[in-house]
Amino acid sequence: MAWRPEEEARLRQVIKDSGVALLKENLVQGTWGNTAVRLDEDHMLVTPTGLDYIALQPEDMPIVKISDPSVWEKGKKPTSERKIHAAIMADRPEINATIHSHPVWCSVLASARIELPVMSDEMRRLVGGSARVGAYGLPGTKKLKNGTVAAMKGRNACFMANHGVFCAGKDMDEAFEIIRVMEKSCKQYIEQKTLEATGQSTYSDELLFDYFKSKYGA
Amino acid sequence: MIDAKTTAAIRDYAARAVEEKLYGSGDVIAMRTKNGFVVNDGCALSEIDDSRLIEVAAGDTRPEYALLTALFAAREDINAVMITHPAYVCAAARAKVTIPAVVDDMAQIVGVNCKTSRSDSVSDVLAAMKGRNSCLIAGGGALTTGRTLDEAYTCALVLDKAAHVYICGSAIGGCRIINTLEAKLMRFVYKKKYSKTNQKNISEREGD
Repeated sequence: MAWRPEEEARLRQVIKDSGVALLKENLVQGTWGNTAVRLDEDHMLVTPTGLDYIALQPEDMPIVKISDPSVWEKGKKPTSERKIHAAIMADRPEINATIHSHPVWCSVLASARIELPVMSDEMRRLVGGSARVGAYGLPGTKKLKNGTVAAMKGRNACFMANHGVFCAGKDMDEAFEIIRVMEKSCKQYIEQKTLEATGQSTYSDELLFDYFKSKYGA
Repeated sequence: MIDAKTTAAIRDYAARAVEEKLYGSGDVIAMRTKNGFVVNDGCALSEIDDSRLIEVAAGDTRPEYALLTALFAAREDINAVMITHPAYVCAAARAKVTIPAVVDDMAQIVGVNCKTSRSDSVSDVLAAMKGRNSCLIAGGGALTTGRTLDEAYTCALVLDKAAHVYICGSAIGGCRIINTLEAKLMRFVYKKKYSKTNQKNISEREGD
C-alpha cells in the first residue's frame, strides 16, 4: 500500500462529505448511490452498503482492491456496486473519483433508455460528448458492470438502464460537476421534448401532467 | 401520554419529508402504538411538534381516522403509515394510472407496480393495498407503509421518484418497464438482504 495515512484520512473525509453534498443537492436519496476515490493504482475507498450518508463516518469506508473487488479491508462491508467502480478505475487510469447515483432527471433518461445528446458546451467539456445508456442488467451483475464500462468509453458519464447514472472525474470535485451537469441537461432535454410533444412554447409541470393524463390516464 | 420515542421519530421523518419536498395538502404520518396509533392532528408536516400529535384508539369510529383505523386493523405487518401529496404523485393519482417498475429501486422497495385505488373510499384503498406496501389514492396522494417509519418514508420517496420518471418518460417516448420476473427477484433480494442491513444500521444509530 503506497499511500500516506494522512492522505487516506483526507480521502475518507472526501467520501463522507460527498455523500452529504449529494443528499443536500438532491442527487441521491436515502441510502442509495455510492462513491469511490482512488488510493493508488490498485486500491480505492468506497462507501459501505446500506448506510445513510448522514450516519456515515469516515472510518466506515472500506478499502477495496481494484483488481479483485471481492478483497476488502477496514471499515464496513462495501457496496455491492464496488465492482463497477473498480472496473471503471481499472479501465481508466486517469479517473480518481466515481459517483453512482439515481437522481430523478437522469433516471428518466435511464428508464427510457435514451442517449442524451450534448446539451451545452459545459456538458461537452465535462462529459466528453453525448451520454450513452449501458446495457440493462440486474444490480450487482456482470452484465450491468460490463454495460457501464462499455458506455463510459471516451466519456465521463453514462446512464445505467432503469437504474441511474455513473459519473467519473479526475477528482471528486470534477465528478460532482459532472453529475450536476448531467442532471441539469436531462431536465433541459425533457422540458424541450415536452414542448415539442405538446406544441407549446412555455414549459410548466401542469403542461406535462395534462399531456401525461391525455396519453396514459384511465 | 405518547411515548417520546414515537413522537421523536414522527418529528424526524416529517422533517425529512419536508426537506425532500414530499408534501402537499392533507399529509398524514402515523405510527402504531399498543392502544391504537399516533398521528398528526391534520396539521401540515412542517408544523408537526409534540402538541400536534394525538393518539387514536384502535376501533375509533371518527370518519377522519377511518382509513388508518382500518389499515392498522387489517394489516398486522404495518406499523407506520404516510400519506403524502407531492406534485408528481398527485398527477399520477389524478390520471388513475398504475405505475410500473420503471426504476430498479422502485422494484426493490415498492414492488412490481403501484396501483391507484378505484376511489378514495376505505374499501377501495384497502383493495388497492392488498399484498402491497403502497398505493395511490384516486384523486389524492400516495399511501405508503412499512414495518418502521423509515420504510414508509423510503417507500414514499421512491414512489415519488417513480411517478416523476414515469410521467416525464411519457414526453420522451415512454419508459422501458422492468420485466416482472426481474422486478420480483429484486424485491425478494432487497427484502431479504439490503433491507435487513439498512434496518440494522438504523437500529444501531437510534439505539433501539
